[in-house]
Amino acid sequence: MSSRARQPIRHLLVANRGEIAVRVFRTAREMGIGTVAVFAEDDAAAVHVERADRAFPLGAGPAAVTYLSIPKILHAAKSAGADAIHPGYGFLAENAEFARAVEDAGLVWVGPAASAIEEMGDKVRSRARMRDAGVPVVPGSERGSDNAGLAAEAARLGFPVIVKASAGGGGKGMALVGSAGELPAALAEARRIAAAAFGDDAVYLEKHVEPARHVEFQVFGDRSGHVVHLFERECSVQRRHQKIVEETPSPALDPALRSAMGRAAIEAAAAVGYVGAGTVEFLLDADRRFYFLEMNTRLQVEHPITEATLGVDLVRWQLEVAGGADLPGGLLDGGVAPRGHAIELRLYAEDPVEFLPRSGTLLGWSEPAGPGVRVDSGVERGSVVNLEYDPLLAKLVVHAEDRAAAIERARRALAEWSVLGVETNAPVLEAVLDSPGFRSGEYATDLVRKLARTGRPPAPDEVWLAAALALAESGDAGGAEQPGSDPWSALQRFRSGEGPP
Amino acid sequence: MSGMRLVSDGEARDVRLEGSAPPSRTAARDLMARGSDPSFAWIDGRKVPFRAVRRAGELVAIEVGGELLPVRAARDGDRVFVGRAGRVFEVRRERVRAATRRAGASAEHGTGLVAPMPGRIRKTLVRAGDVVEAGQVVLVLEAMKMEHAIRAPASGTVTRLDHAEGDLVEAGAVLAEIR
Repeated sequence: MSSRARQPIRHLLVANRGEIAVRVFRTAREMGIGTVAVFAEDDAAAVHVERADRAFPLGAGPAAVTYLSIPKILHAAKSAGADAIHPGYGFLAENAEFARAVEDAGLVWVGPAASAIEEMGDKVRSRARMRDAGVPVVPGSERGSDNAGLAAEAARLGFPVIVKASAGGGGKGMALVGSAGELPAALAEARRIAAAAFGDDAVYLEKHVEPARHVEFQVFGDRSGHVVHLFERECSVQRRHQKIVEETPSPALDPALRSAMGRAAIEAAAAVGYVGAGTVEFLLDADRRFYFLEMNTRLQVEHPITEATLGVDLVRWQLEVAGGADLPGGLLDGGVAPRGHAIELRLYAEDPVEFLPRSGTLLGWSEPAGPGVRVDSGVERGSVVNLEYDPLLAKLVVHAEDRAAAIERARRALAEWSVLGVETNAPVLEAVLDSPGFRSGEYATDLVRKLARTGRPPAPDEVWLAAALALAESGDAGGAEQPGSDPWSALQRFRSGEGPP
Repeated sequence: MSGMRLVSDGEARDVRLEGSAPPSRTAARDLMARGSDPSFAWIDGRKVPFRAVRRAGELVAIEVGGELLPVRAARDGDRVFVGRAGRVFEVRRERVRAATRRAGASAEHGTGLVAPMPGRIRKTLVRAGDVVEAGQVVLVLEAMKMEHAIRAPASGTVTRLDHAEGDLVEAGAVLAEIR
């Protein structure tokens, strides 16, 4: 790979949507790189489309035939004259076939080699590979296997165990199984979800370690074979096995542990000849032993907290390394050091109790700002939140001199956020920031489950008045208003034509 | 009746907006048409003087009790989302007449099956014209990683089935009707 000539990127297509497409376009523009968006028909009015120089359609239909269609994306790249493709995260970001197809088409793939994606994408293989490289792994089933084999493995490991999709991440297909009786149903469900999400129904088991923390390390490699780590991100605040709050530095690490985990992360990346940005995820148990969980061979959702404390732009490095440049010399000499503390809050369109995704139109949207505040969003007022896609609306990233100040800044910024029309997880984020567990730094992956559910004070007068004014404004239900989601309001409008009630 | 019954988070309020005179919703609307808002309201029979503050026509604050309180509101049909001090309240207008009609509609037209949450129709297990028993699973709705069995609330004949497998539906969408 190092023999490859430098080929700076000139026109970049981002094969993604939402906040990550917007985020990548921003850096590309700062680098003087032309930007190309792709969009499914229901995203024609989406924000990411308008933030690119040019935009090409992927047609109508579910994601499987739009953002996940390799031929359509390559066709768009050709139409646009793009010379490089950035996959963002999700969709095709960890699809080795796509990486290969991009390079076969003579385009620059902004990511690691297809072989590294394959090696790490198969979670069972990557666990074996890491164990061979001397990196500790969580006890688990060692081979992809049939249900009978997995049942035997579960008995050997001891319940509870976690079922995971071999081909994927993002919590999809993951299930906690408490007893042998629950296993067959859990396996069937996990296989079904894995097949739908990743086109592969292979699953494996891991011993469930709890309480535990999830701590990941940002790594970066270049084509000359350099691999560095860019410190950790604490990712233990999760619901449905998906992160909602991340911070760096992790309150759980001391310099010795940080250094040991950082070395293991570099070993993991170097073992597969990693090029570009990647993340090595570890589980940290109550006795401060760490285990390799998996490697994400792409830019991570929570990458901005690393950017905040290091003062770097990881997407710029991705684009430069993909274009053939080496990592900056200063970095290789250990020249970057984190400064202060950063926290990311993920704002999801979902209900704050059951965490089920919500859809609808964002009737009001106003983002926080001010010192130390960054918002990466992919929506604006009027945007339609569609169940077809990931319900992540935006990320709030705050940076401050120390952890206590960062928490206060996060609370302040979260309270500035005004989102009307679609329910969000903002109350959960607020409860996390206020919880004694988070504040003390002594928390694990069960923090969200253990949050106290406090009742809200009733709406004050001004809320009832504002609602009444809004309802009086355009007359009653017979007036020209948007149809509500309540089927009976539609029924009533229809019937009001029949005569006076 | 010029007042409205509002419901939020399990709490209800009867609210009537009024100008200085005469006390009716028509009057309130006329006031607003002239660019002024009502100047007081009755909330559960309690008189609350207030002033609405607008920016480019959009409500941004309400002055009540001598204090200006920033507030945002966005309406979708009978629902209003109100943002106040970092919190969002979803307020619904409860329609007495609509409820009566709903009861009437059920008696007349059988029972509608309504999606409890937004999701995707994973399976339809019946067809229009099928006879179903009370409790029988009519279709399966998938929301994220969970499947929800939607069951017939009563025995009868499926008279309507508006959605096919794979369709995305909003919360409250009528999925089927059983007579």
